[in-house]
Amino acid sequence: MKDIIRTKCLISSDVEALINQQIKKEAHSSAIYLSMASWCNRNGYDFSSEYFFKQAEEERAHQLKFYKYVLDMGGTAISPDITNIKIEYNSFREVFEEALDQEISVTQSIKNIAARCHKEQDYVTLEFLNWFFREQREEEYKARRALELFDVIGEEGTGRWQIDKHVGGIEYAEG
Amino acid sequence: MQETAILTNIHFEEVFSTSKGAIYQSDSENCWYIDFAGKLARFDYRNLLKLKKAVYQIDIENLLLDNTKTPDLEIIFICACDHCYVLSLLQIIGLKELLQGTFVMLELNHIIYDRLHRIVA
Repeated sequence: MKDIIRTKCLISSDVEALINQQIKKEAHSSAIYLSMASWCNRNGYDFSSEYFFKQAEEERAHQLKFYKYVLDMGGTAISPDITNIKIEYNSFREVFEEALDQEISVTQSIKNIAARCHKEQDYVTLEFLNWFFREQREEEYKARRALELFDVIGEEGTGRWQIDKHVGGIEYAEG
Repeated sequence: MQETAILTNIHFEEVFSTSKGAIYQSDSENCWYIDFAGKLARFDYRNLLKLKKAVYQIDIENLLLDNTKTPDLEIIFICACDHCYVLSLLQIIGLKELLQGTFVMLELNHIIYDRLHRIVA
């Protein structure tokens, strides 16, 4: 008897479902960043707004990368619906705290996919995920660094203005 | 002579069967035939997965506990598929069992295929 399912699709249905969840997560992430960009812009933090616009685009690119992978492997990629995006934040700092939380949650979720791949010996998807792990290193670093600025510079006086100016300049130099 | 021709044309292999029905695979057509609820229906790869998803999504427990006076019938309709099932609760349980068994057997077939033909030992 032929192994029809394997000839049609490289990844298992479990891995496919996990990646589809990840696609939704990345789309959600992108929408949150867009909302943060809006909040920053409205409150006079133009550099931060620009930073979040860029982050939103990056998350969208991640979503598409996962999306195309599922299709290329013969699976069904599902376009997600995104709801419940927050519009208001209580403070400038809170925006960055939530941005870091968001990145951590993305990293953890990709780790979970990798764990499943290890279990199934799906080395093809594992290799694909490596690119994302490298990317998450940078994303988490940037988010953590932005939050650090609040402690290093301080929010008093023109502090928030200074922080905003420096957010745009955060870069991750891979050591 | 004619008989053998027909047999080679529709060469089925049983994947899994229960007292309620059976699922056969056709290697020449790359599809499956489901013998259930009084009919034999052909499903290709995409449609079989869609059927699996549709049946697995039915909340059987909820239907069992439901005491409203609605008939316990479910319509399983699959997009872009020629077949549709109108099933009673017992039939749904039967179809789910049949599908679960089938996917276990297909997974087993995959493992055997790997071991015999694909992996260099």
